[in-house]
Amino acid sequence: MQSSEKYVASLREMQSAFAAALRDPAVACAVLPAENLSIYRNNAAVSFRVALEGSYPVVRRRVGDDYFRQLTWQYRERFPSRSGDLHWIGQDFPAFLFEHLQGSEYAWLADLARLEWARSQAAIAKVEPPMLADVLGRFAPGQLEHLVFGLQPSLQLIASDFPIFSVWLANQADNASPVDQSVGPECGMVRARSDLLEVRPLEPRLFSYLCALEAGAPLGEAVNTAGLDQSALVSALGFVFSEGLVSSVR
Amino acid sequence: MARLESRGVPGPIPACAGIGFRSVHHHELVAERPAVGWIEAHTENYFHEGGAAGRALERARANYPLSLHGVGLGLGSAEGVDREHLIRVKRAIARFEPALVSEHACWGRAGGEFFNDLLPLPYTDEAVELLARQVGEAQDFLGAPLLIENVSAYVSFEHSQLKEWEFLSAVAAISGCGLLLDVNNVYVSSKNLGFDAQAFIDGLPADRVGEIHLAGHAQSGNLLIDDHGSQVCEAVWQLYRYAVSRIGAVPTLIEWDTHIPALSTLVAESRRADAILGEVRGLAA
Repeated sequence: MQSSEKYVASLREMQSAFAAALRDPAVACAVLPAENLSIYRNNAAVSFRVALEGSYPVVRRRVGDDYFRQLTWQYRERFPSRSGDLHWIGQDFPAFLFEHLQGSEYAWLADLARLEWARSQAAIAKVEPPMLADVLGRFAPGQLEHLVFGLQPSLQLIASDFPIFSVWLANQADNASPVDQSVGPECGMVRARSDLLEVRPLEPRLFSYLCALEAGAPLGEAVNTAGLDQSALVSALGFVFSEGLVSSVR
Repeated sequence: MARLESRGVPGPIPACAGIGFRSVHHHELVAERPAVGWIEAHTENYFHEGGAAGRALERARANYPLSLHGVGLGLGSAEGVDREHLIRVKRAIARFEPALVSEHACWGRAGGEFFNDLLPLPYTDEAVELLARQVGEAQDFLGAPLLIENVSAYVSFEHSQLKEWEFLSAVAAISGCGLLLDVNNVYVSSKNLGFDAQAFIDGLPADRVGEIHLAGHAQSGNLLIDDHGSQVCEAVWQLYRYAVSRIGAVPTLIEWDTHIPALSTLVAESRRADAILGEVRGLAA
């Protein structure tokens, strides 16, 4: 190449330079007018922020808009978007909050974020036709403890050392009072039911039972894992069918 | 993939006005069935097996022809196209059976990061080759032809060798794709970058234009911002009239993505587009 010839960057180089300029206003890029790169920079930032706000409305409500925007900027630096589908923008936000807040008095926000992400995932999961309890009549009594239940694809089971279900439920409206953290650990489920999303705390043994079933444990093993007595077993079995959580039995 | 129990309206999308399928209007559109020619949905909103949005689109699809309009493939990305994203587009096509599928002449990723925006391309021979190749590969994989839309631009690349309309025409000729002419985007770009909007329209292969978009924009200082958040302005209506007088009647979408108004407002906008299409047909008869 003669020294007088103008170097023409490759397409990849041009796009890399454009992307670098989006990340850092101090970086030059061969476009005109250069100051209009700010529009694309703002578009990307707003798309990211709006997507995160949509996935984490209660975290945002608890920390306030200003701090949530600060967290968004820091989160984007650490976990930039890896998909053309905006749904996945918030996938790593619980892990980011855990890194960012562990050891602080706000560590519980990471678990609240896990609950909210579970809700986002439940919202996009398929809803299967529920099995009714009379399906158990097809099996001999001796077979029941060996049955394996398939649960609804949308079911998400969450446990925390903090009262995150109480916080979530209390913050479905603005200006909720803070929940007393001394309430302690909570566990529960998130699931889709028709066009509704349900967030529900559960009694620990019932939660343990559902976790075992979801992991594929046969009915008898799930009962033992959860430490259910006969009365609790009947109640738990009634729960999974009355709530439409069972999608298959084999 | 589950099939619709009630098949949608068969055949191609009619050369009349349609409206965007927005979540705030889902229930009303299905319940009231306004007399619009067709509906268009953003493909990425229907990527997942479950969700209320997908069920709403299935119900609406039973009453209206459907166009799926993607915003996330970034077919002009030198880093390549996300195969998982392409797979999800294919699943959406199988589930909802659209009569038209479209995307944009843009890129969206570099250095492993996605910017979730329609980033402008330099109009170079290399960009023509890459976009045409990735459009062609996408069409082959999807088993469906694509319409490729011109985006609004706020910058031009120093290394561009072609005019935007020359670029789009070349991509269409090589890949066999169609074109989605966004008249508002032409207007916005022409004002921001200083070119003749009618020359843009004149420079496109008319027989390749399979759809037109109409939308509103905002003004910020000396710039027009393509926010798709208001009524179509008079200048864009006039440019649309010019476009259809040259291209002929094609399916025309009223595209309103932000500050979404009442459904009746979208329907009213669509009536104006239908009136212009009717005039063009009358002149052509």
